[in-house]
Amino acid sequence: MKKLLAVTLGILTAIGGFVDIGDLVTNALVGARFGMRLAWVVVVGVIGICLYAEMSGRVVAMSGRPVFDLIRERLGRRTGLFALTASFLVTLLTLIAEIGGVALAFELASGVNYLLWMPLAAIAVWLVIWRVKFSHLEKVFGLLGLLLIVFAVALWKLGPNWGQLAHQVTHPVPTGHETWLTYAYYAIALFGAAMTPYEVFFFSSGGVEEKWGRKDLGVERANVYLGFPLGGLLSLAIAGCTAVLFLPAGIKVETLGQVTLPTAVALGKLGLAIVLVGVFAATFGAALETALSCGYTIAQYFGWQWGKFVRPRQASRFHLIIIICLVLSILVLLTAVDPVKVTEYSVVFAAMALPLTYLPILIIANDPDYMGEATNGRVLNFLALIYLGLLLLASIAAIPLMIITKAGQ
Amino acid sequence: MTGKILHAQLHLMDRQLIDYRSGALLGKVDDVELDLSSEIPTVAALISGHQRIPAADIAEIDSAVKITPYQLNLTKGDDWVEQHLIGKIPGAGDETE
Repeated sequence: MKKLLAVTLGILTAIGGFVDIGDLVTNALVGARFGMRLAWVVVVGVIGICLYAEMSGRVVAMSGRPVFDLIRERLGRRTGLFALTASFLVTLLTLIAEIGGVALAFELASGVNYLLWMPLAAIAVWLVIWRVKFSHLEKVFGLLGLLLIVFAVALWKLGPNWGQLAHQVTHPVPTGHETWLTYAYYAIALFGAAMTPYEVFFFSSGGVEEKWGRKDLGVERANVYLGFPLGGLLSLAIAGCTAVLFLPAGIKVETLGQVTLPTAVALGKLGLAIVLVGVFAATFGAALETALSCGYTIAQYFGWQWGKFVRPRQASRFHLIIIICLVLSILVLLTAVDPVKVTEYSVVFAAMALPLTYLPILIIANDPDYMGEATNGRVLNFLALIYLGLLLLASIAAIPLMIITKAGQ
Repeated sequence: MTGKILHAQLHLMDRQLIDYRSGALLGKVDDVELDLSSEIPTVAALISGHQRIPAADIAEIDSAVKITPYQLNLTKGDDWVEQHLIGKIPGAGDETE
């Protein structure tokens, strides 16, 4: 049982990183517009995040140094600062989206407008970070997030034409009104959502919080290889649900309510209740991750004391950053900006920041000074280089495609 | 240091500074001061922010630089935030792990 619970960091990272508000919305939206014709991107994304999360976890286990610590060390102060600015802003944008997501989940459950829930959600996130042990927060939200498996059950219950879904998977081209440009734009959005930088910041810093050492390499790998594919599977189930329910009717997904609708149609009130708890856990978990990651990135760049492994007063600047970020989130959301739109933009901007996050990890994972015997093998380096190419391509194409397609319209 | 070759740019610059005794994180190495008076240049001090850490304070260099800063206070920024803001919130001194 203890071993089983040891993989909850991976499950939380994956549920929070893979099935956060960004993935819930993007996968549902893509499913409703393209069916399963973009499913391959999720698979490519899962493999990519597995490769790089495993590397970052191994770096932590062997050297005790989390990712952003190393980004500055390898890129130098200036380029490091550029990487910090880019990844911090993306993470903050994601935090705003997650807080909005938590509030929207409460609106769906209670009927009370999300704007009233939103400050409460932000305060709850802060309280949990301030008071709750890291290992507890992992377990509670990781395990509750597993309720999202209800999407897979719902898909099965909807009784889809499996042959047709399989046909979509094997014919990865745009159809109907969709063009290659919108297809490429959403491919990048899905890729960005899958490989969001905060996942490795959180995963590697979490490894330090959990005091991973050499003997924990097995735990680290189990976390990665169980957690992320599970997250990917849930993503595909969500896309599958909207592909079955909305694609034939030509309905576009624009709200979180539409994302959860398939479970209500398939499983009734019980399904809806389960999915709402799952959405709450996943977005709340992701809000914790992104809020912590805002603190992790800045503190690690400047070398300040960070982490929940010390008392809050001992990492005072780290906690101050988190408080400021949460206050900023409340202020942005109070302008009544649509959290779903914030989400859509955050995943595309994430794609832009990717190469600067992942290149230093690859360099360090090959450095025997840090890694001893546990440097990357040749096959792993070959694959990692291919992904670096993909990341670069996605980051270059993200903004032009966003402008040309008017953000996928 | 047991005869391991260290490269100042690679092994010192931008490295994490850690308190050798407490394990507290103290900052980054922003610059390295070299002593060029002898034939072979030696590291005279590490610079972090406005603080100068004499080479004698360096205890260990691995994936981070561990120091024993007897004379220095490297956590002024953290201390200020702690005294004026974070320390005033209830529970700031409680253990969370």
